[in-house]
Amino acid sequence: MFNNVKLSLFLASRSMMKGNKSTQLLIIIIMSLIFVNLVFIGSIFLGVTEATNNQVINSLYSNVVIEPKTDEKYINDVYSLEQKIKGVPGVVGISSQYVTGATLSYKDKHGTWTVRSINPDNEMKVTTNYKYLIAGKYLSRLDENEILLGKEIAGGYGGDIEYNSLGVKVGDNIDVLFNNGIKKSYRVKGIFDANFIQTNTMAYISQKEMESVVGLENKASQILIKTRDNGNEDRYIKQFLEMGIKEEIKPWTVYAGMVKNITNSFNMISIMISAIGLFVAVITIFIIVYTSTVSKRRQIGILRAVGIEESIIIQSYIFQAIFIVISGILIGLIIIFFALKPWFIEHPLKFPIGLASLMILPERVSMNAISLIIAALAAGFIPSWLAVRKTIIDAIWGE
Amino acid sequence: MTGDEKLIEIKNLSRIYSMGEVKVKALNNVTLDIKRGEFAAIMGMSGSGKSTLLHQLGLLDTPTSGEIIFRGKNILGLSESRKARFRLEKFGYVFQEYALLPELTALENVYLPAMALGRKKEDYIKAGTQVLEQVGLGTRLYHRPREMSGGEQQRVAIARALINKPDILFADEPTANLDSSSSKQIIGLFQKLNKEMQLTIQMVTHEPDDMKYVSRVVWLNDGELSIEKYEKLII
Repeated sequence: MFNNVKLSLFLASRSMMKGNKSTQLLIIIIMSLIFVNLVFIGSIFLGVTEATNNQVINSLYSNVVIEPKTDEKYINDVYSLEQKIKGVPGVVGISSQYVTGATLSYKDKHGTWTVRSINPDNEMKVTTNYKYLIAGKYLSRLDENEILLGKEIAGGYGGDIEYNSLGVKVGDNIDVLFNNGIKKSYRVKGIFDANFIQTNTMAYISQKEMESVVGLENKASQILIKTRDNGNEDRYIKQFLEMGIKEEIKPWTVYAGMVKNITNSFNMISIMISAIGLFVAVITIFIIVYTSTVSKRRQIGILRAVGIEESIIIQSYIFQAIFIVISGILIGLIIIFFALKPWFIEHPLKFPIGLASLMILPERVSMNAISLIIAALAAGFIPSWLAVRKTIIDAIWGE
Repeated sequence: MTGDEKLIEIKNLSRIYSMGEVKVKALNNVTLDIKRGEFAAIMGMSGSGKSTLLHQLGLLDTPTSGEIIFRGKNILGLSESRKARFRLEKFGYVFQEYALLPELTALENVYLPAMALGRKKEDYIKAGTQVLEQVGLGTRLYHRPREMSGGEQQRVAIARALINKPDILFADEPTANLDSSSSKQIIGLFQKLNKEMQLTIQMVTHEPDDMKYVSRVVWLNDGELSIEKYEKLII
């Protein structure tokens, strides 16, 4: 067995060494590009999905959201609930919010957007929007009559839906008509760009201000909870439930329906493109090996005549195919990790859902490499197997 | 040089090729014994079936009917894999067109069958070198076929055929592509191998001149054994 492998490797290596070097290099480059394509498509889609997920967590909902019980409009006794939650190990921030719809208007322009009220000190532990101010300042806990606008509401900062924007700058006064009919004038204190269209279409006022508007205290529409780690939301939710919290407790993922749809679509596109890539790889290798077996038909016959087993000859072609593919994979890895990845870190792609870079998962890379190697096995085996099916006489002396 | 020991017994061997509706009898009921140590020439007109007979004997083709008994065992019943092993261990081949692998050096071409047999590296390199020296190519070990003359390539092919110390060497018109000087060298080499190593050789040839070098001539005519002629070895 070992001797057969050794002999196959010997035949394969001699064939490769004496073959046309530029053709081999070209084929290896084709394989590397196929591999890069396999990894790249999956990684960019994964990067977009990951960026979106991060945006949902970092700028909108954090990790876990507590909502009012099914038949209630608000969460009651928020202060004591916050104290309970704070006691759970791993909870690093809590932000209770009132959320309401409101019509914002400036001069002759107006639109309806979501207004969230926050305690800025708490909010900064839960979301990262405070880091993305593009004008003015962030809210303070005691701010009254001041409002923070997403860039899509403010306008003038290259938003995706500017036609709907108010066209205001920091310091301008806008009118806000709340759902309960109260109308107030607010000075624009800051404008932020969270790189996420859903966040950029929201406005923030201080909790104190909102309480004066809605006339409520110690209540909230939702409580956002930031945990130390992402991905373990279910474990935290279980702990909250065990503590006797009766409100609705949801992980951020339930708010990421759009992301789920995107992920599913991306997965499907990724699978289709990967399948096409693998098919191209199989056809390329098949043609290479087939051409080689046709041109070396007589040599194959001679090898068999002198007593070299068919399996050794087949193996030698499979080794050649695997060599091509593995070389392609190695070059592809260099391109991916030393060119594409650094480039995308420097130049992330801008989507309405956020900035996306490549997300290269080692297991995905391994899977793509293995798929390509399996494709090479099949594409190397079939033509060489067909070649040794001929009789020795036909192989050596046939037409 | 021939002994009485039968190396191969051929019984009622036939090979019929089907060409559409037409059936061509390339070999028709050939019965023949090959004795150990003999140097036989298989001769006949073009299309008489001499190469076909050699291909059947060498297990390169499968006859339509008949038996080939090698040292008492019918070798036609072996599986393809066992036949390959049998060819590797027991048979040596020399073809008209040299049949060397162009990517390999003379030495690599020669030691390939030894490598396939599982011999150690130092062993097959040493054996390959020795056998190439034996055929007078000790200085051409690392030359590739295209860097050698036809006669040299044929001697490499002979060295390859000898490396595993075969029981019998089959040569299919080994001098057909060579000039007269190289032809004499090759036939002389066969004679030497037959004489010194008692190597059994079956050689297909169409050269009447070759008859004087062999111990036996097997004549074929239209696929049938015509005359079996034994001659004393003429040196």
